[in-house]
Amino acid sequence: MEIGPIVRALARNKVRFGLIVVQIAITLAVVANAVNMILVERAKMLRPSAFDEHNILSVISERFAATFNDPNYSIAVVESDLRLLRAIPGVVAVTNTQFIPWEGVGGNRSNTFILANRDFSSQYYDVTPGFLDVLGMRIVEGRDLRPTDIDDNPNASAGPVLISRDLERYLFGNGSAVGRLLKDHEGGMWTVVGVFDPFYQPFRGFPIEHYCVIRARHTAIYGGPYLVRVKPGAMKSVVQMITPRLLASNDGRNIALKTIDEYKNEFFTSAHVIIGAMTSVIVLIILITGVGIAGVTSFSVTERRRQIGTRRALGATKTAVIRYFLLENWLITNSGIVLGAILAYALNFALLSLIAGTKLDWRYVVAGALLLWAQGIIATLMPAARAAAVPPVIATRTV
Amino acid sequence: MLAYNVRIAWKSLRRNPWLTTIIVGGIALGICASTTFTTVRHMYVRDPLPGKSQKLFYVRLDDWDLDRPFMTDGKTNRHAVPPQITYRDAIELWRSKIPVRQTMGFRSWAIVYPDRKISRPYYDPVRFITADFFPMFELPFQFGHPWDRRADEKGEQVAVIDDSTNQKLFAGTNSIGKTLHIKDRNFTVVGVLAPFHPFYVYYDWVSAQKEPDHIFLPFHSAIDMEQRNSFNSSSPAWAIGPVPNTGKGSVYLERLYSESDWIQYWVEFRSPADLSAYQRFVDEYVLGQKKLGRFPRPLNNVIMSMRDVWIDRGLIQPQIHAMAAISILFLVICALNLTGLVLAKFLARGPEISVRRALGASRSAIFLQHIVECELAGIGGGVIGIALSAGVLRYIGKLVAAQGHVLRFDLEMIAVAIFLSLGAGLMAGLYPAWRVCRVQPAVQLKL
Repeated sequence: MEIGPIVRALARNKVRFGLIVVQIAITLAVVANAVNMILVERAKMLRPSAFDEHNILSVISERFAATFNDPNYSIAVVESDLRLLRAIPGVVAVTNTQFIPWEGVGGNRSNTFILANRDFSSQYYDVTPGFLDVLGMRIVEGRDLRPTDIDDNPNASAGPVLISRDLERYLFGNGSAVGRLLKDHEGGMWTVVGVFDPFYQPFRGFPIEHYCVIRARHTAIYGGPYLVRVKPGAMKSVVQMITPRLLASNDGRNIALKTIDEYKNEFFTSAHVIIGAMTSVIVLIILITGVGIAGVTSFSVTERRRQIGTRRALGATKTAVIRYFLLENWLITNSGIVLGAILAYALNFALLSLIAGTKLDWRYVVAGALLLWAQGIIATLMPAARAAAVPPVIATRTV
Repeated sequence: MLAYNVRIAWKSLRRNPWLTTIIVGGIALGICASTTFTTVRHMYVRDPLPGKSQKLFYVRLDDWDLDRPFMTDGKTNRHAVPPQITYRDAIELWRSKIPVRQTMGFRSWAIVYPDRKISRPYYDPVRFITADFFPMFELPFQFGHPWDRRADEKGEQVAVIDDSTNQKLFAGTNSIGKTLHIKDRNFTVVGVLAPFHPFYVYYDWVSAQKEPDHIFLPFHSAIDMEQRNSFNSSSPAWAIGPVPNTGKGSVYLERLYSESDWIQYWVEFRSPADLSAYQRFVDEYVLGQKKLGRFPRPLNNVIMSMRDVWIDRGLIQPQIHAMAAISILFLVICALNLTGLVLAKFLARGPEISVRRALGASRSAIFLQHIVECELAGIGGGVIGIALSAGVLRYIGKLVAAQGHVLRFDLEMIAVAIFLSLGAGLMAGLYPAWRVCRVQPAVQLKL
């Protein structure tokens, strides 16, 4: 093998090949960390919300007519809206609630409750029965809320509530929550009658994304929002029917519709941007490093035309010439990869300590190394082929 | 001499168009990536009100429970003090003369009833604040002016609206003196804001709203209209119990004077030095309240500058720093790449340089000529890169428009981009130019 001569040749051009080594090293460090960032963001996006979100629609009814100041009238309209929405072909279930999946920072609510003198925070929503059906959650213990549980008295201070399975585990360990009392800060005492699962809703960075308490009550003040679940494929036709039907029944308001897919897209905008940006960085960086390797190899081919000719005249085959350049590049790439692996962890360490992030998975470094090997071969092949084409007769010419 | 060097460099770049394309294209991509992400980062971390944000302070009082701080996010202690204060504390703080300006406020939904010929009634979040709000946060006016402190004291029904509301309701004309019907009363428009798109809404701690408010009304009118914070309020457990009977009359007033935290309180100092005097005032007030059985926690009143508020709220996503760092490394790669290619190109030119050296050109002249060539490539790549970056920023801006962020270059970022492209050209060119000016004419010229 020509390892000896190759290493000696490389040692004569330390700077030129050193540059390539450094370039490959930084490329590996950047690619590994970029892949890491992409996968972290993807994991966030792919995390299942447990809801049948493609088939859920939110309907806001902004009421402005003075008649809505009467709470009884308001509630009567909510009830009639629920009946109207249920009657639309393609609608599976309907609920009246402030909860909107993936809404992020908008109308999501939380409250602090007290259990045995310890207080805890939880998301907290008023819902009408049907809530679990709309979101595709189920009762795992106890019972669901019933229409008779609905209590619209603003001073109500007792009644049944449901809690999420994860909240039950947090509060009671393996014990059952059914029948237990939760106190709120306005003196209310709420009896847990059932437990539902699964629930996941990110909540402004607070660690209560799995905790939820729901109570049976109409939400009539802020736009009487509804969540509507439709049969798969029925979204389009349902969307067209809702506004005219609701306005026909009561014109003292504006109707606004938005699918949960839209909310989710907005929620993950920054994740989309990060993934897009990092993907382009990876592609471009590989491309640029590839062009750099091809350029430098091509130059060293031109520079060594006479030596190549001499070797060919002395009996080296074309394959041997190609092999020489591939091997040379492989050695450079390997030095770059070794340096790059160290650099990748150093960069990850810096990102972790200075800012935030996740620990680099060693598999991304290996994947990056494989990518760089492939890139090295592709980038070297063309100049190497040019080298192989150098005619042996060159050796006989003086200049 | 410079003109001559530029001409030679230009000729040399044109002689090898493919190589030049690769070199300039590489620099352009590097500049595009690095300026895009440093601009995004810059938008997040820069001072929203230069010169002002060290004078504007946000006041928080720790009125939470003895055994447990306010809800924290589990990782940091950021949220350990409630983000807002009670109404009863706000009116006590109002007595202090230390701040040159101060404002209390909150945001709440209300129904706007325009002329039915123009629009159906609609819901809009309304910000209820006191007069100093406008000069404190330097909101720009196109017509009229803010209401003054007297209007607050006398309880005048006045309103400031933004440009979009003025377009919607008054067709963009000067609407000063016109009437705006909101909820159950009429307000007279005294000011119309100029179009105003800050990168984020810097005057609100909690609501994470996507754009500035459309309608601003005096704080006193919120109480007349029985408006409460629609977006965020919380009360500590120690104040648990039915709404206390304070003899105020209505349920609204009972709640108004309850322990619920729902007011945002900002103060402006003449100089940052006033902070310690104000902190003393606030602490003394809270110590006095402790004697009445309120504020069970250890004394912990946080008065924080607007700049720190933004950082403390944790809205700056850490990935933004990471992307900026990675994009700078990307530029470094591009420069290294350029070094390799330029080195190869220059060294291939050995004979030509030898002739020039033999004819009397000095080393520094050769060096300069090659640096100029690299800088020319750097500038060319820089210009293309900045143009590309403007396009990418516009695209990202559209994607994140839902978050209300407006992405654009400012002078500072253009300066950074130019600096980066010149730096990349110089960094890439230094070594090759140094190598090439040390070429030995005698060796090259020998046959």
